[in-house]
Amino acid sequence: MAGRPRGSWLVAANAVVLGWLAAVAGSVVLFDPLGLPDWLPVHMFLLGAVSSAILIWSEHFAVAVLHSHQPALWTRVARLAALNAGTLAVLVGRVAGVPALLAAGAVTVVAAVAGHMLLLWRLRRRALRGQLAGIVEYYLAAGVALLAGGTIGALLGTGVGGTGWHDRLFAAHVHLNVLGWVLLTVLGTLFMLWPVVLRTRIGAGTVAAMRWSLRLVGAGLAVAIAGMLAGLRPMAAAGLAGYLAGVAVAGRPLLSAARARAPRSGAAWQLAAAMGWLAVGVTADAVIVAVTPAAELHQRLAALGPVLLVGVIAQALLGSLAHLLPVAAGGGPQAVRSATSTMDRGWPVRLAALNLAVGLLAVPGLPGPVRVAGWWLAAVAVIDVVARAVWLLAGPAISRLTPQRRTGLGVAAGGIAGVVLTVLAVLVAGSGIAPTGATVGGTGVREVRVELGNLRITPSVLTVAEGVYLRLVVVNRDTQPHDLRLDSGQRTALLEAGEQATLDVGQVDHEISGWCTVAGHRAAGMTMQIRPGAGPAAPPAEAHHHDGLTIPQTPLDLAAPFSPGFTPYPAGLDPAPDATVHRVELRVTERELEVAPGTQQPMWTFGGTAPGPVLRGKVGDLFEITLHNDGSLGHGIDFHASALAPNGPMRTLAPGERLTYRFRATQAGIWLYHCSTAPVLHHVGNGMYGAVIIDPPDLPPVDREYVIVASELYLGQPGSPEQVAKLRAGTPDAWLFNGAAAGYTHNPLPAAAGERVRVWVLAVGPSSGVSFHVIGTRFDTVYKEGAWLLRPGSGRGGSQVLDLAAAQGGFVELTFPEPGDYPFVDHNLRHADAGAAGIFTVTGPGR
Amino acid sequence: MIDWWTAVRFLHVTGAALWVGGQLLLTLVVLPLARRALPAEQRATVLTAVGRRFGRLTLLAFLPLQVATGVALAVQAGVTPAELAEPGYERTLAAKLILVTVAMLASAGHGILARRRPVLARAAATFALVCSLGIVFLATALAS
Repeated sequence: MAGRPRGSWLVAANAVVLGWLAAVAGSVVLFDPLGLPDWLPVHMFLLGAVSSAILIWSEHFAVAVLHSHQPALWTRVARLAALNAGTLAVLVGRVAGVPALLAAGAVTVVAAVAGHMLLLWRLRRRALRGQLAGIVEYYLAAGVALLAGGTIGALLGTGVGGTGWHDRLFAAHVHLNVLGWVLLTVLGTLFMLWPVVLRTRIGAGTVAAMRWSLRLVGAGLAVAIAGMLAGLRPMAAAGLAGYLAGVAVAGRPLLSAARARAPRSGAAWQLAAAMGWLAVGVTADAVIVAVTPAAELHQRLAALGPVLLVGVIAQALLGSLAHLLPVAAGGGPQAVRSATSTMDRGWPVRLAALNLAVGLLAVPGLPGPVRVAGWWLAAVAVIDVVARAVWLLAGPAISRLTPQRRTGLGVAAGGIAGVVLTVLAVLVAGSGIAPTGATVGGTGVREVRVELGNLRITPSVLTVAEGVYLRLVVVNRDTQPHDLRLDSGQRTALLEAGEQATLDVGQVDHEISGWCTVAGHRAAGMTMQIRPGAGPAAPPAEAHHHDGLTIPQTPLDLAAPFSPGFTPYPAGLDPAPDATVHRVELRVTERELEVAPGTQQPMWTFGGTAPGPVLRGKVGDLFEITLHNDGSLGHGIDFHASALAPNGPMRTLAPGERLTYRFRATQAGIWLYHCSTAPVLHHVGNGMYGAVIIDPPDLPPVDREYVIVASELYLGQPGSPEQVAKLRAGTPDAWLFNGAAAGYTHNPLPAAAGERVRVWVLAVGPSSGVSFHVIGTRFDTVYKEGAWLLRPGSGRGGSQVLDLAAAQGGFVELTFPEPGDYPFVDHNLRHADAGAAGIFTVTGPGR
Repeated sequence: MIDWWTAVRFLHVTGAALWVGGQLLLTLVVLPLARRALPAEQRATVLTAVGRRFGRLTLLAFLPLQVATGVALAVQAGVTPAELAEPGYERTLAAKLILVTVAMLASAGHGILARRRPVLARAAATFALVCSLGIVFLATALAS
């Protein structure tokens, strides 16, 4: 009789685990082909199935190793119920975009685990303590990890952490919950379960190994998390190395147990395979964390997901259940033996399927259908185990039913299965619909999915029937943050990539405009219209901006003085430094600059000036630029002097993020660098550009070198519709040399007669090029876009203009014949007239 | 408004109504009455005969009719097999076809298992019935 309550509790509790596993397997099969986010199955698995199993079985083992009494049934039910209610709230809160529900769910999950830890703690204090009592310390350490990891998860899910902290919090969340909560529990349990599954004794060194291993993995994980949160990659990697060492220490007694008695059963082989993947996964994780900047960690770790989730965790769980469930079902040695063989039947196929699936999912670069096949393999293996377990646990109860009840059960099962399949079919049928113009008919509350991405809002026009209460589910499908604001007053928070929010619009009785408030995005076309009734399709809202724009009627007064504090951008150029490695810290800032006499303009800059600092080196030099985004918008950088895949280095940094951009200068010339964030037109037009000068190998020394970066000025609030209209039309307010209109007319550049002067010129645009000319002299040397067009002495030829299209560059060399003032201009005279001009003041020779 | 396609659609809708209605009639009317009114050995004979007849009708009449008219309607709607995964009308049709296949397999399973595994056969029949209603639901979505 004593065995009955325990058995029935374990049977009922594990039904919860099996239910979650079935749901996960179903969603994995369904979600991947439909391209839905992988967040949901991952959390259904780890929070639903795995965490429930941890609560149930860690208590079971704690009671066993401590030789203590069974805890009261109500505490078990309360903990498991709280965990599952919390998990459901987290899942629903996330899917429905209700952060408060998600946060409440996370708090409930954390509370359930805290209660569980309290119970284990009490058991441990009161108990006699067996040889393996140390296992409970693993469980307590795992619980501590979940308390932290779950709290961080709530911060991430509700967006409290903000953009700057997102990457660090994400890394900490993943590691605390997987390496901490789940794998510490797995590791601790294996010390006891592994010898039992192998049917051998617990080895002599086990207790010592347990103690040392926990110290190493615990301290290692703590150091790693601290490193991740502090943004110190070497520290995080060192911590993970410590964790790995702890795993290795734990591996010794486990290996010697397997040597003493080789695995025979399916459960044993699955646990063995899980341990193998554990070693692989944790090693790979340490390497990835060591070499990957925080911002890319999300993507890199995703590749590791299948190894840890399927290879280690799912396999360890299935292997353990295969051994434990027959024991839980009870009924005497013979029944257990027969149940074990039920669970074990066909294990080699299952083992092969699961591990083949891990291989298919973990190898990068395999085509989509192979990945889908991998998920199917894993799902089928899980479903197979779940079906066996259900049969095992429910079979005896079913056989006790009357024939009539059994028929009723069959009808119920068939009906439920039919409803589930129909719901899935309806979900599949309704998936993937994202028309650009949509009509919402019917009555009552209607939800419409609105996607933000590619500088578009989809659908861009929404026509809503009378009587519909409209609710928008806004999803950011881009890699940069966006939001949606309606002129009826509602707005979402700034949504990170993949996040979503819900906006209650209500009944639509007049036209409502919506847009993204991130600077420049509205003007770039991130707008939407919500219209009442079914009317004829009008042209999209952005059409208004194209026509009827007015160029400022009063041109800038370029003859007026600059303000007293104005210092022109230094045009004088030092020779390339001798160093072959150039390390540069570049900070993106948004600030006001004087761009024309007495005219201030908010500019987006690299390093506080527009143009940004000139980087100079020689062919073969290595450039290592650390870019910090200290601005309020997303920014990035693109060095034309580099040759590399743009995906990583040129990605957009959220405010507060940084990246390191490394390139070797293999080709000479003056190269543009500029902001890489879309719309690039806005970012370049607002000042985010600069020059990289790579000297040609045979560049002769000269007496004086200057650099002139030619660009355009668009006045107005950056990103405002008026300014963007000018940017799009290519009608600047002024043309600039080194960021100022007429800057060097008021502050002439010095030179001496007879000196050889080299002037590097870079045309930025964003729209127009430059026709660089120096009045009163000629060029005897012209170097343009990597080629010498003219060198002195070769046929007595001369040059009057260096012509460059937008983003081209080169240099000219000249000597001034006698003292005087030599204007230099963009000989496209419209540009010269509107600011692209300056003066060389030439003194007598030798001064 | 009324043309030959109306006739094709009429046949398709009528076929579906008869098939789903027939299942409902058997499950909700014939089966409970047979259980109540007939002695055990007669009940088995009658129900087996009813099942056979309905199965034969399905196989020889409903299924060919639904497939033929269904394919014709899909062609008329401009759906090609390659487009079946595309969101909207095509994907809804694909989901419906999957449900049809599953429902037919379940019905066949019901026929095969009726004698040997009565509980499983009942489960299969209920499953097929619910799936059939799901098919009608998706068909309604296609027509709107």
